[in-house]
Amino acid sequence: MNTHVKITKSEPADLSRRSFLVGSVAAGLALGYSAVPGLDSALAATAPASNFDPSVWYSIAPDGIVTVTCGKADMGQHIASTMAQIIAEELGANWKDMRVQLASNDPKFNDPVLGAQITGGSWSTMMNFDAMSRAGAAGRMALTDAAAAAMGVPAIELVVRDSVISHPKSKKSMSFADIVKSGKTTKTFTPDELKAIKLKTADQYTMIGVSVPPLDIPSKTNGTAKYGIDVMLPGMVYGKIVTPPVRFGATVKAVDDSAAKKVPGFIKAVTLDDKTATTSGWVVAVANTYANARKAADALKITYDGGPNAKLSSQSLLDEARRLQTLDDSGQFFVKDGDTAAALGTAAKVMEAEYTTSINIHAPMEPMNATAELKGDIWHIYSGNQFATRSGAIAAGAAGVDPKFVVMHQMWLGGGFGRRLDADMMVPAVQAAKAVGKPVKVIYSRENDMTMDFSRPLTFQKVKAGLDADGKLIAWPTKRWGIPDFLSPSVDKKGPLEAFTVNGADFFYTVPNHNVRAILNEMAHNATPSGQLRSVAPGWTFWAVESMVDELAHASGKDPAQYRIDMLDGKGANAGGAQRLRNTLLAAMGLSGYGTKQLPKGEGMGVACVSSQERATASWTACVAHVAVSASGEVKVKKLTVATDVGTAVHPDNIRAQVEGAALWGLSLALYEKATLKDGGIEQTNFDSYTPLRMSQVPEVAISVIANGEKATGVGEPAVTVIAPAIGNAIFNASGARVRALPITAEAVKGAMKV
Amino acid sequence: MTTFNINGRNISVDAAPDTPLLWAIREQLQMTGTKFGCGAGLCGACTVHINSEAVRSCQTAVGDVAGKKITTIEGLSAKGDHPLQKAWVAEQVPQCGYCQSGQIMQAASLLAKNNNPTKEEVVQHMDGNLCRCMTYSRIQKAIMRAASDMRTASNAGTERRPT
Repeated sequence: MNTHVKITKSEPADLSRRSFLVGSVAAGLALGYSAVPGLDSALAATAPASNFDPSVWYSIAPDGIVTVTCGKADMGQHIASTMAQIIAEELGANWKDMRVQLASNDPKFNDPVLGAQITGGSWSTMMNFDAMSRAGAAGRMALTDAAAAAMGVPAIELVVRDSVISHPKSKKSMSFADIVKSGKTTKTFTPDELKAIKLKTADQYTMIGVSVPPLDIPSKTNGTAKYGIDVMLPGMVYGKIVTPPVRFGATVKAVDDSAAKKVPGFIKAVTLDDKTATTSGWVVAVANTYANARKAADALKITYDGGPNAKLSSQSLLDEARRLQTLDDSGQFFVKDGDTAAALGTAAKVMEAEYTTSINIHAPMEPMNATAELKGDIWHIYSGNQFATRSGAIAAGAAGVDPKFVVMHQMWLGGGFGRRLDADMMVPAVQAAKAVGKPVKVIYSRENDMTMDFSRPLTFQKVKAGLDADGKLIAWPTKRWGIPDFLSPSVDKKGPLEAFTVNGADFFYTVPNHNVRAILNEMAHNATPSGQLRSVAPGWTFWAVESMVDELAHASGKDPAQYRIDMLDGKGANAGGAQRLRNTLLAAMGLSGYGTKQLPKGEGMGVACVSSQERATASWTACVAHVAVSASGEVKVKKLTVATDVGTAVHPDNIRAQVEGAALWGLSLALYEKATLKDGGIEQTNFDSYTPLRMSQVPEVAISVIANGEKATGVGEPAVTVIAPAIGNAIFNASGARVRALPITAEAVKGAMKV
Repeated sequence: MTTFNINGRNISVDAAPDTPLLWAIREQLQMTGTKFGCGAGLCGACTVHINSEAVRSCQTAVGDVAGKKITTIEGLSAKGDHPLQKAWVAEQVPQCGYCQSGQIMQAASLLAKNNNPTKEEVVQHMDGNLCRCMTYSRIQKAIMRAASDMRTASNAGTERRPT
C-alpha cells in the first residue's frame, strides 16, 4: 500500500472526473477510481493490471474475501467497519467476507468530498456514503456481468446475495470467489455511468440499518489491535521528550547531558530545530529502552528562555478577551442579518450576558507517539493520526524533505477526539531518528501530553438580545473569539474568518436581526495553541446560545421548550432544518417526560437543542437534563435524555454508542474538566488534577435515534454540545441559579442562588 | 536478570530492577496488549494480574515481581474466550479500545472472587479505570453478562441479585 512515492503532487480527489475501474489483477479483483483523471474507458479497458493498483477502495481476493481500504482514521467510531458496511450493502457481500485495512497517506485515499485525508467534523459517513455505495454497486454490476457470461444467462435474471450470484430459473450459481478466480471480470464505468447507477432505496436495504458486528472489536478485547504506540521496528530505539514549563514560545538556551550520560543505554539528547513551528523548546532524550529514555530525560539539565508568553495566565487571556470585546471595530462578522442596533433601540427589553469556557485538554488514553524510520530516501512514519495529509507534510518539514518522500503508516488510534489532527509528535520522532541514524519511537509521558495539548481554548462570549413587548427575540448581536485555522471568508469581507470558532452561532431560530462577530484573541492563540476538541466551536457556541435562549424564555415568562419551538418556525433559510430540530426536541421532551410531573424540591429539567456540527452538516440533537441541586450548590445529574436525527442510520448500535460517548463527554466538560494556565504553562499534568468522568459519575442516559430517511449524518460529536446548556438550564429550574461559566462548580451554583 | 512467570511461561528479563514492569512486558517481551496511559497509577490502562491480584504495571518494579505469577490480557484465556472477552464482544463495548485490556483485567480480578457482584460493587471495583470514549455503561453491562455466564457455567444456581 505504500508504494506511492512516484506521486509528485497532491491533488484533490475529484471523483467526478475519474473513471471507475473494476478489473482482475494478480491478487484478485480490484475496484476503484482510476489514478489518472479523465482516463477514457477504452484505454482503461485495455490498461495493464498495474493500472488498477494502487488506486483502490476495496479488492476481492480469489477466496472471496473483500478487503476495504479505509482512508479515515479509526479512533473508536468503527468508521472502517462502517465504510465496509456501506460497500457490502450495494456489493451484495456476506458480512463474514468483509475485512478492513487502514490506508496510507497516498492522496488516492483522500476523502472524495474534502479532497484530503482528514477525519473530523462528524463528516465521514455523510461525505463517503454516496461514493462507497457507488463503489459497491459498480463491483456488483461487474461481477454480475462476468457471472452472466460464464453461466450463459442474461445478467438481468441474476440475483446477488451473501457473496453469491445465482440464477433462480436454472438454479445455477457462482460465488464471488468463483467469479474472481475465473479472472474474467473487467468493467469500466465512466463518471457519468457511475453517477447514473441506480442505488438501492431504503426499503431494499439488507445491511444499512443493521447492527452488524464491527470488524475491529474482537481485536480490542484480546490485546491484538495495534496502535501507534505498539509499533516495533528492528533496531528501534526510544525517545522521551522534555518539554519546557511554558506551553509555547520558549527556546532552549543550553542542554547539560552530563548526568544523562550516566544512564545506561542513553544515546543522545536531541534539541529540536522545528521549522514547522509546531513545537518550541523541545528536547528528546534517546535511549535503548523507553524506561532508560525517561531516566535520561529526567537527568537532563535544560535552561530555557521562557519567551513572550512566560508570564501569562488564564486570567490574562480572559482579561484580553474582555478588552477586545469592548472594541467596536474588532473581529469579523460571521452572521450579519438585519439591523441589530436599530432593533435594540426599539426593543421593549434588552438583556446581556457573558458566557465563558475554560481551557480543555483532549487527553486520549493513548498518549501521543510516533515512530520514524528512514529507509533509503523514504521516511516511514507509524502513528495513529486524523490528518494524514498534514501529518505527512509536518513530518516532511521536520525532516527537511519534500512530502512525497514521506509515507504515513496508519494505525488504530487510542482515542482521537481531534487531538490527532495535530502533528507535533512527528517532529521529535523524525528529528531524533535523523540525529541517531536509527528508527526512533517517541512516546509522550502523560505529563507531556497534557501540558503540550492543542487544547480547546478558553472562550469568552458576550450575548446581547432584544425582546419585543411580547417577549419575542428581535435582536441578537454576539461577539466571540476563537482560533484561526481553516479560514473562510467573513460575510463583511473584512479578511478571513475562522468559521470553526463560531459554528453554531448561525443557529436555526428565526430572529429578524442577528449579528455575530468573531474576534481573534491573539494573546490566547499564541500562548495556548488551539486544536479541535470533539465538537469544536459548537461546544462553546451552543453553551452561550442555548443558555441565553433559556434566559430569554424565563424573562418572558414562557416555557423554555415552547419558546424554542416557537422560534423554530422554519422561515427562510431555516426551512427544513428548523423543523427537524423542533421534532428532535419534541422527541427528547417526550422520552424524558418533560413537564408531565411535578419534580421534588431541588430538582429540575432543562432543555437544549443544537444543529451541530455545521449548518450544512448538522445532526439535529436535543437533550433534556434532569438534575438535583443541593443547598450547597452540588449538582447531581440524574438523567440525560438525548434525541438525535441522523437521517439514515447505517449502524444503529454504533450510533447509540457514539451518541452516549459524546453525551458523557459533554457531561465531563460541563462538570469535571478544567485546565488552567499559569506562568505560560498548563498547570494540570495528569489524571489527578485533570479529571475526566469516571464510571461512578455516569448518570442514566436515554437515547433516541431518529432515522427519518434523510441522508446519513454524523454522530461522533453533536451530542457533546447539547449537554452543558441542558444541565445549566436544569440547574436554573431546580435552584434559580444561573451559571454562565464552564465547568459548572458547586461554588458558582451556590453563588448564583437567590437567597 | 529477573525471573518470573508470565502467562504460564517462566521468563528472565534483562532490565534494571527499578524498571516499571509495564515497559518490560511491552518492550522486552513484546506483548503490547498491556497499555501505557498515565505512568502514575491513575488510569488503569496498564492493569495486569500479579498472583491473581489486579495491579498497575506502571507502578510495579520488575525487581519486585521475581518469582511471581503474572497474567496479561494475552494470557487471560487461551483463545480470547474468557467470559469477559466474550461479553465485551457481545455488548460491543470497545470504541477506540485502548483502555479495554486494562478494563478487562481489572474486571477479571473481581469476577474471580465474586461472580455475582452488585452494580455498586462493579462501580467501586472499576472506578480507577478511565475510559476516555466513555464506554462505562457497556463495560458494566458486559461485566454483568460475564458474571451471569460464569454462574451458569459453574451451575451455581445463585439468583442474580437485584442491581
